[in-house]
Amino acid sequence: MKYLQSSLAVLLLAITTGCAVGNKYDYSSVSVSLPLQGSGELGVAVVENRAYVVSGDKAPDFIGIQRGGFGNPFNVTTKSGKPLTEDMAASLGAALERSGFKVSALDVRSPDASVIAAAATRQGQQRNVILKVNEWKTDVMMRIRLIYDLDLQITDGAGRTIASNRLQGDEVIGGGGFEGQNAGSASSSFEAKIGRLFNKPEIFAALGE
Amino acid sequence: MIKVLRNFILCLLTVLITGCASSLTADKDPSIQLSTYNIFYVVRQPRDERGIEKLIAAELTALGKTAFSGEAAADPEAYDVVVTYIDKWSWDITTYMLELKVELRDPRTNYVIASGHSHRTSLKRKSPEGMVKEVLNQIFSKQ
Repeated sequence: MKYLQSSLAVLLLAITTGCAVGNKYDYSSVSVSLPLQGSGELGVAVVENRAYVVSGDKAPDFIGIQRGGFGNPFNVTTKSGKPLTEDMAASLGAALERSGFKVSALDVRSPDASVIAAAATRQGQQRNVILKVNEWKTDVMMRIRLIYDLDLQITDGAGRTIASNRLQGDEVIGGGGFEGQNAGSASSSFEAKIGRLFNKPEIFAALGE
Repeated sequence: MIKVLRNFILCLLTVLITGCASSLTADKDPSIQLSTYNIFYVVRQPRDERGIEKLIAAELTALGKTAFSGEAAADPEAYDVVVTYIDKWSWDITTYMLELKVELRDPRTNYVIASGHSHRTSLKRKSPEGMVKEVLNQIFSKQ
């Protein structure tokens, strides 16, 4: 009887937490292909604006939820241990360099428009790419749900916005599987969404294509 | 008590064993008109030994496109669209396709202009041909 109870406890523990604990995804080395080619210098910043991170409810490396057998949630975090915005900045910077630009990082620590403008003026280039992350998280159980709200701004050297694009959505991007599969689906979606943000004539014009 | 516990475990196992799920999604750049693209090249996934690239090319042909397939194209810009895919397989009595993701890319920049995905667990399994068909139909129906 005791043996049966112990087995049941172990089984329940495995079912409810199984592969759900400690999942990590890598957004820093996603190979993003942008729909444009260009040249010249760009300042680049990815700015955290997720309400639950700005308020301190979640750590900056929080990137979503993996649910256990009964829907019980566990945090998914960045593989690097760094804030999501740093990982995204690494991928975005590499993508822009592959597209022909010379990239330098801007240090922007607040989503406030005046702070972004001041950073662009102080350390920026004549053109700056600012990606504000208003939302980005996955929610995985049987399916992978992606909830996102990304705001791209191209500013001039004085921090004035000369072009912008915004993408928001809440969509199923795949079937839930093991950590590696889920991470792959999340990376693919990140590539597609970042590429799409840039695929707008006003953005091409602002970046001088 | 033992009977209750045994029934509980049986119920739990039944839920686990019969649990079935499927998802079919497509995501397309709204500024792109897929109908204006006619010549497609499907790149064989290096680890694919089942010829899924041929199935995708055949289905594209059935959709009225001109489609070729093979190893990475020497001159990708000769085509309107380069198609890549990821196929995942599982085993439950027999091997079946668990998941298929297809991406349509601009050959000039490699930018993903559209993608589609189907995920089917064992009890909802379909043939590879069926998975390819439903993914491409989902992508092109989003035009």
